[in-house]
Amino acid sequence: MTVTDVLVAVAALIAAPPAGGFLVGVDRKITARLQGRMGPPLTQPFYDFFKLLSKTRVVAARGNMVWAWSYLLLTMTAFTLFFLGQDLVVIFLILAFAGAALAYGAFSVRSPYSHFGAQRELIQMLSYEPILLLTAAAVALQTGKFTVSGVLTWDEPLLPALPLAFAALLIALGIKMRKSPFDIAASEHAHQELVRGVYTEYSGRYLALIHLAHWYELVLILAFVALFWAQPLWIGALAALAVFLLELFIDNLAARLRWSWMVAVCWGLGIGFILLNMVLLQWLA
Amino acid sequence: MTGEILIGVLVLLPVAAGLLGLIPMGVPARRALLIPVSLVLAAASVWLTVTAAASGPLTVTLPAQWESVLTVLDFLLLAYFIHAGLGARHSLVVLLSLAAAAGLAVLKFAWLGGHVSVEPAFHVDMLSGLMCLVISIVGSLIVLYALDYMPRHEAHLHLDKSRQPQFFLYLVGFLGVMNGLVFADSLLWLYFFWELTTLCCFQLIRHDLTDEAKQNALRALWMNLLGAVALVTGTGLAYQLVGSVSLQELIGAGTAAPALLPALALLCFTGFTKAAQVPFQSWLLGAMVAPTPVSALLHSSTMVKAGVYLVLRLAPAYAGTTLSVMVALFGGLVFVVTSILAVSQPVSKRVLAYSTVANLGLIICCAGINTDLAMAAALALIVFHAVSKGALFMAVGMAEQQIGSRDIEDMEGLGFRTPLLASAMVVGMFSMLFLPFGVAFSKWAAIEAAGTEGGWFIAVTAFLAVGSAATLVFWAKWIGRLTTQVKGEAREEKPFFAYAGTIGLVGTAVGLSILIAPLMQWLILPAQAGMGYGRPFDLTGWNLFTAVGSFTPWALFIAVGLAVLLPALLVKGPAGTETAPAYLCGVNVDGDRRFRSVADSPVPLAVGGTYWTTLFGEQKLTPVFNWAALVCLGALFVGVIV
Repeated sequence: MTVTDVLVAVAALIAAPPAGGFLVGVDRKITARLQGRMGPPLTQPFYDFFKLLSKTRVVAARGNMVWAWSYLLLTMTAFTLFFLGQDLVVIFLILAFAGAALAYGAFSVRSPYSHFGAQRELIQMLSYEPILLLTAAAVALQTGKFTVSGVLTWDEPLLPALPLAFAALLIALGIKMRKSPFDIAASEHAHQELVRGVYTEYSGRYLALIHLAHWYELVLILAFVALFWAQPLWIGALAALAVFLLELFIDNLAARLRWSWMVAVCWGLGIGFILLNMVLLQWLA
Repeated sequence: MTGEILIGVLVLLPVAAGLLGLIPMGVPARRALLIPVSLVLAAASVWLTVTAAASGPLTVTLPAQWESVLTVLDFLLLAYFIHAGLGARHSLVVLLSLAAAAGLAVLKFAWLGGHVSVEPAFHVDMLSGLMCLVISIVGSLIVLYALDYMPRHEAHLHLDKSRQPQFFLYLVGFLGVMNGLVFADSLLWLYFFWELTTLCCFQLIRHDLTDEAKQNALRALWMNLLGAVALVTGTGLAYQLVGSVSLQELIGAGTAAPALLPALALLCFTGFTKAAQVPFQSWLLGAMVAPTPVSALLHSSTMVKAGVYLVLRLAPAYAGTTLSVMVALFGGLVFVVTSILAVSQPVSKRVLAYSTVANLGLIICCAGINTDLAMAAALALIVFHAVSKGALFMAVGMAEQQIGSRDIEDMEGLGFRTPLLASAMVVGMFSMLFLPFGVAFSKWAAIEAAGTEGGWFIAVTAFLAVGSAATLVFWAKWIGRLTTQVKGEAREEKPFFAYAGTIGLVGTAVGLSILIAPLMQWLILPAQAGMGYGRPFDLTGWNLFTAVGSFTPWALFIAVGLAVLLPALLVKGPAGTETAPAYLCGVNVDGDRRFRSVADSPVPLAVGGTYWTTLFGEQKLTPVFNWAALVCLGALFVGVIV
């Protein structure tokens, strides 16, 4: 780890919230246009964020406040590790801790809706966690490295070698972005039976923290996507952006489906794709 | 010389103490007997390991007359099993005991007859030392815990006559037996101790003498006897091929002789039965009827480790063979299916039991991956799993005595009802689950070891990835239940030894996880060097760098510790006016206990856990998983023979 690495990580930590918030703004604008609405300005997520911060503190349980902070800090830890070029499996396992922290916050209030959301949040993790871990393994099978810095020294782009793993990663990205057809825990599109799912009991500045953590998470996953075309990196960034836009279209085209369907898609299609990709990679080599 | 005395103390002292405990005595007298014994055992195990580290492996050759004593004891033990089988009219137990006896007779009288053994009975290297440390230290803590637990347990059962003397005989004696098992080099001695652990297991499961307990004990007995038959057959086969029953010679001859693989496969199978791998998981789940959680704990952190010990001990012999690949696939399969089964379990001890089988499967899987990194993962997991799972069993036992239930649903808000115990439980579960704790470290190492291997190990990696995700779910939702905020006052009874043991073990789990690099340096890497494996880690700056990845324990502990502890310590709870009731989709009545619903009548609020039985139900999945494991086992034997 050099001074440059640390500087990159610090710069990323500072740049991620504006970038993530901006992406969410783009999301809301495009979604509105697809639905024939004008939509809010691009800066709306930031207005929302500051408005939430200035709200009077009203909470249902102390655990709710504590875990909202832990969720943010753990996500930032995983984020920092990524931009320090650390181990991908470690990063995803820490990210799992962060996701669990969000669920614990929801569990800490004795509220049926937030419990409902928290359980579903765990089911989402059951679905996407194997995809993230296996994608890391697929990357390592090709490059011989599990570390981000190791992958960056690999001369060729990964996407031509790992197209199916990349496709599987899109499923995980859809869940992480809380998009249809996988939006089962947080109800971004206000599904009535859920109220606001895992977010139900979070409010005010604690909800703001969660938005911030979500922005970090979004940038982190997109950065992982960009890793698939790291030589040169700008193509990777464009690929990540394209994937992000693709998710928005899928979100607006698809209906939200059942959790068991999500598990089946992730374990069947997602894991199946990655395994097939790994086998082909070995077979062709 | 010191070495021999230490070995003698570690094997014989617990047995002697157990026998001495048969004299009727009160609780204070039993404490006065067993506390010093526990301390001596712990100290002796450390001393022995230090000796083995300083001066290399110790071997002990016993005088020839011991062979005859051993033979007599072997057959007495089998006679007892036949007696137990006949008494319960359990033909399978009788048949398997007879088969084992017949095999043993052929081996001892026809093949080894008149042959004076010059082979060492015991060979204590660093792997044995590591096992001995786990057995003697965690095991001693279990004994101390039992001193607090058993009187309460019996008070609850209203027994006329205390059955504690028998209980402590098998509990304490077991520690000596386990030590003997991991020290044994001669397969004949190994067999003897193996059968003794089966005996302890049988007696401890049926201790409460309910119908269910007796039935489950018999199931454990026949499954373990099946393993014993495989052990005798494997030993005989190995003797025919190598001309020796020494484990060390077997391992030395291994890789060069593919004909030896069937013998090794049989010995691995023996390990699978003892480690309650699918399809034999039912005996460990049944063992949970035993006095909660003392013997259950024995079945979790120490005894079942005998099974994985044997598989690990033989790993260098089958490195790079089909058997190794099949062992990895089998272990990985068991890890994933039992983790999935645990998701649907509402009973805390069954979750712990499934998680135990899963972790043993992971250790076996690592033995099959058979690289330097995988071996380090396996050995680290033996240590970390014993400590963390030990702590959790103790905590669950205490919870059961405090709330009168072992159901996870009844543990809602335990964090506010018994705060100290629940905190220990939550930290214990974190240590089973999340990075940077040791168990998760082992998962990390296993994934990275399998992930770069290719071939069949691609499937193994998938098993590990899915299994890790399932593990996350069942622990996380349990933690969620414990941390739900409930109203009412905390009421907690704190028996000293039980609490000290629980919290001590949780502390050990955290401490060892932080000190994982020194643990590698002084214990695990020497142990695997003794087995012929290299160093997978560059330990610069107490980090663990491998050729493919990096793990930075103390930096991660600082970051994660800050992320979790800072908010927990600094965030102040809401003041009275800042508290809002939970959203209930109706007008709240008296805070958030009830809400107005249909026809404006108040409905009480209830919050429950989810177990997703439609998808992950035990009834539905167990037969499928058993068949999958059987097919995998069949493939293992076919693959080895072909």
